[in-house]
Amino acid sequence: MEHKFDIVIVGAGGGGLFAALEAVRTNPRVSVAVISKVYPTRSHTSAAQGGVNAALGNKDRDDTVDLHVFDTVKGSDYLADQDAVEYLCGQAPSVVRELENLGAPFSRFADGTIAQRPFGGTVKDRCCYCADKTGHTLLHTLFEQCLRRGVTFFNEYFLLSLEHADGDCQGVVTLNMATSAIEAFVAPVVILATGGHAKMYWNRSSNAAGNTGDGQAAALRAGIPLKDMEFIQFHPTGLRKSGLLVTEGARGEGGYLLNRHGERFMVRYAPQKMELGPRDLVARSMETEIIEGNGFESDAGSYIELDLRHLGAEAIKKKLPQIRELSMHFEGVDPIAEPIPVRPTAHYSMGGIDAHMAKTAVRGVFAVGECACVSVHGANRLGGNSLLDILVFGKRAGQEAAEEAPRRKALGIPPGAVAGMADEIRSYANPERYERYGILREEMGKAMGDNVGIYRVEGRLRKGVEEILALRERFRRIRLFDTGTVYNTNLIQILELKNMLDLASCVALTALARQESRGSHFREDFPRRDDQAWHLHSLCTMERDGDIRLGHKPVTMGKYSLETRSY
Amino acid sequence: MERREVSFRIYRYNPQVDRTPFYDNFRIAVEKGITILRALNHIKEHLEPRLTFRAFCQAGICGSCAVRINGVSKLACTTQVWDELGGDGEHTILIEPLNNLEVVRDLVVDINPIMDKLKENYSWVKPAIPQEKMGRKEHIVSDGEFEAINAASDCILCGSCYSECSMMEVNRSYISPPVLVKAFRMNNDSRDTLACERLERVSSDHGLWDCAHCHKCMEHCTKNIPIMDGIHRLREEAFERGMTDSEGARHAQAFFDDIRDVGRLREVTLPLRTKGMIGSLGMVPLAVKMGLKGRTPPLWVRPIPDIDRVSEIYSRLEASREDAAEASNPSHGRTPLSPPYPVGGK
Ligand SMILES: Cc1cc2nc3c(=O)[nH]c(=O)nc-3n(C[C@H](O)[C@H](O)[C@H](O)COP(=O)(O)OP(=O)(O)OC[C@H]3O[C@@H](n4cnc5c(N)ncnc54)[C@H](O)[C@@H]3O)c2cc1C
Ligand code: SF4
Ligand code: SF4
Ligand code: FES
Repeated sequence: MEHKFDIVIVGAGGGGLFAALEAVRTNPRVSVAVISKVYPTRSHTSAAQGGVNAALGNKDRDDTVDLHVFDTVKGSDYLADQDAVEYLCGQAPSVVRELENLGAPFSRFADGTIAQRPFGGTVKDRCCYCADKTGHTLLHTLFEQCLRRGVTFFNEYFLLSLEHADGDCQGVVTLNMATSAIEAFVAPVVILATGGHAKMYWNRSSNAAGNTGDGQAAALRAGIPLKDMEFIQFHPTGLRKSGLLVTEGARGEGGYLLNRHGERFMVRYAPQKMELGPRDLVARSMETEIIEGNGFESDAGSYIELDLRHLGAEAIKKKLPQIRELSMHFEGVDPIAEPIPVRPTAHYSMGGIDAHMAKTAVRGVFAVGECACVSVHGANRLGGNSLLDILVFGKRAGQEAAEEAPRRKALGIPPGAVAGMADEIRSYANPERYERYGILREEMGKAMGDNVGIYRVEGRLRKGVEEILALRERFRRIRLFDTGTVYNTNLIQILELKNMLDLASCVALTALARQESRGSHFREDFPRRDDQAWHLHSLCTMERDGDIRLGHKPVTMGKYSLETRSY
Repeated sequence: MERREVSFRIYRYNPQVDRTPFYDNFRIAVEKGITILRALNHIKEHLEPRLTFRAFCQAGICGSCAVRINGVSKLACTTQVWDELGGDGEHTILIEPLNNLEVVRDLVVDINPIMDKLKENYSWVKPAIPQEKMGRKEHIVSDGEFEAINAASDCILCGSCYSECSMMEVNRSYISPPVLVKAFRMNNDSRDTLACERLERVSSDHGLWDCAHCHKCMEHCTKNIPIMDGIHRLREEAFERGMTDSEGARHAQAFFDDIRDVGRLREVTLPLRTKGMIGSLGMVPLAVKMGLKGRTPPLWVRPIPDIDRVSEIYSRLEASREDAAEASNPSHGRTPLSPPYPVGGK
């Protein structure tokens, strides 16, 4: 089966939905399809709790776009491209107001303006929020507006490959999950918005099960480079047992981090910002405390306590209701009465599809949101800047796509592309194969967590690379046990694992190569930032035989030049 | 860590191979603190790779994993295995797909009807601000107004209430509770300009007035949304806007009037007042049958002896309504009309 559209958007998170909405608003005559492996409102954007940054100046009247740019560039450890950052922060106030205008239920100050709260790594309080369910409400608002505009959705369709003819976009090949039919979508313009890949750390990850980087892997296989893959953000406060996230809002509201001596240890690491230092710093500080034996011990591993009790029952119930619920469901702890056991968890992928202002190397292919590396986050993303990223660049890509689509020729997808995918899927069921999904995935999560985690060092990184490459080899013998065609989730698991393994090898290889410490990437053997040798973006490309080749690209500088980063 | 052997009795159905659904038993050792979803994942990864269910966030926020656990619709990812064990040492947990939706395979149901109903019922804000002025200014909205729609905006479209709803069970065309929640949320948002049209849509056939007030949706909402408050508020709004020209509204009005005037129902004229002259003709055969069996309700209804006390309730209600109207936030520019309006409840 073949579909034809002017624009195909893969991914229905905040990035994809805003792109779709903007495309149909810009040019109602273009036909737009949104493809998603889950129903739109289930996308991982729904999990974002804390908020979205914009220099509205509702709280701190003297906040400016420039200060927001500065915070972002500094937060990125000077690896962000400053043209993109300026665009991001410049558009922030209008894009947040627009979401408000479209009905997003933001929390309010007493004067009726959008409320703002402090968030890590910023000099002003500029994080706009809807209680602690900001992502959920933004996602629903965008979905509702897409329904209103009659956007066409293909829900539970899985992206298999991105097709192009010598750098001109042809469209995508997908799997209809309900029937296992392989369906091609011919489109001169494709926007990839498939979200992040931090689930490769599996149990030590705050991410949804499907944050497997499918769009990134498809782009990589189609010859588009991936950028800055070594940068994975560890969020300081994951729940001890599940890795699920306790929002930074909890510290923004005044929560304390305590070691087992009852000490607010952040005083030794970031005396001024304390608990509200940038994520990489807080996560490393916690990890150090744990390594040095200052953590609390438990069956489920060592941990740190996040204490909210002094905020009072009222404030916890009103401002952090979801956190309370999560703590009770998953740790059996009511934060009104007891501190929450937490430890760092893999949370966000700064790296992704190499894109300049959302445009990739293939003509007609855009990449936005967490799957892309634009790069506004550089080596470390600030909390609240990622929802902003998906809104600002989602909108921009949608607009440009709508302008570009009518000018581009629709090129068909060669039947070989569809047949090739069908063969690959059939081969998974070959009875001579024996490797099991559950085992390979478990080993992948462990290999990444143990060797390519918060603290990195050459020996372990080499081990990590070897283990991941060995797993990629074993994947060739993976067995699909479910051979049915109706809603085959076993098949989806295997396809996702393949993508994660390809991306994990990029992460491990670039982490090994980068011999310096910058932002989230911390090398014990190279503890300093080395601007001379490493003020560069890393690039990964895939060779024909599947090997990963590394390269570099300069960073776009602007108003702010290199400085040491201290908080 | 405490461990127990637990049996999971799981509904299985693959339309490709199974003529009828059946139940499969899986016995596994489970640690305390494990969720139903973790148990399902374990079964899929180690015992039966074909077992089919949905899950995504694992954190109770995406709405993917709702199933019926021991007969009750819940999120698998936030339900603890321990909480589902019988007190009598009976360690079997029954897992089935949601009700009132077609089963695609095993625990996966087709949720497109929910999506379609959202669309049919204008489940979006139609902003007051024209497109070209978007993003320039924010509305000033009081925290009180935010609070009023805050709970309703928690809905994750998980479908649990849809599965539990008594009206859905008899009529799959019924609008359904999550769609009513959305309608309430939109109609109480001062930034929206579609309240009237939406309410008309929502209160047409199989809509707002069909709700049987059984409260099951609210009891089982995975996000504890006070769904019934929303439904009542929408009904009140229908009256305030003078949308009394539907069967449901007339029915409610007739109840309200009868109780006020005589303290009980005037059953004979009820159909006439609800369905109108033509509509009531359909009831004639039933009336004749009832007449033959000597079950005809009295033609003339006398007020009950305590009608004074009923009147007192009505006037108190009126007074409290007026107070509430005054106290409520006037930012809507829509003052609640004076009674009579029907009062919800069983
Ligand atoms: C727990 C948590 C809390 C967070 N809190 C905040 C916060 O407070 N502030 C902030 O700014 N950021 C926060 N973030 C980060 C932020 O939420 C994400 O980076 C952002 O929402 C990503 O949006 P997206 O549109 O790029 O992708 P997503 O919302 O992840 O959507 C991806 C879409 O792609 C689709 N897709 C993926 N693969 C395929 C495929 N193979 N085929 C078809 N479709 C596919 C999915 O179905 C989905 O619709 C948080 C993240 C997490 C994990
Ligand atoms: S109260 Fe109404 S909407 Fe709720 S379950 Fe009962 S019939 Fe359905
Ligand atoms: S109203 Fe509650 S139960 Fe119903 S879909 Fe929404 S969250 Fe789920
Ligand atoms: S998996 Fe998302 S709500 Fe359960």
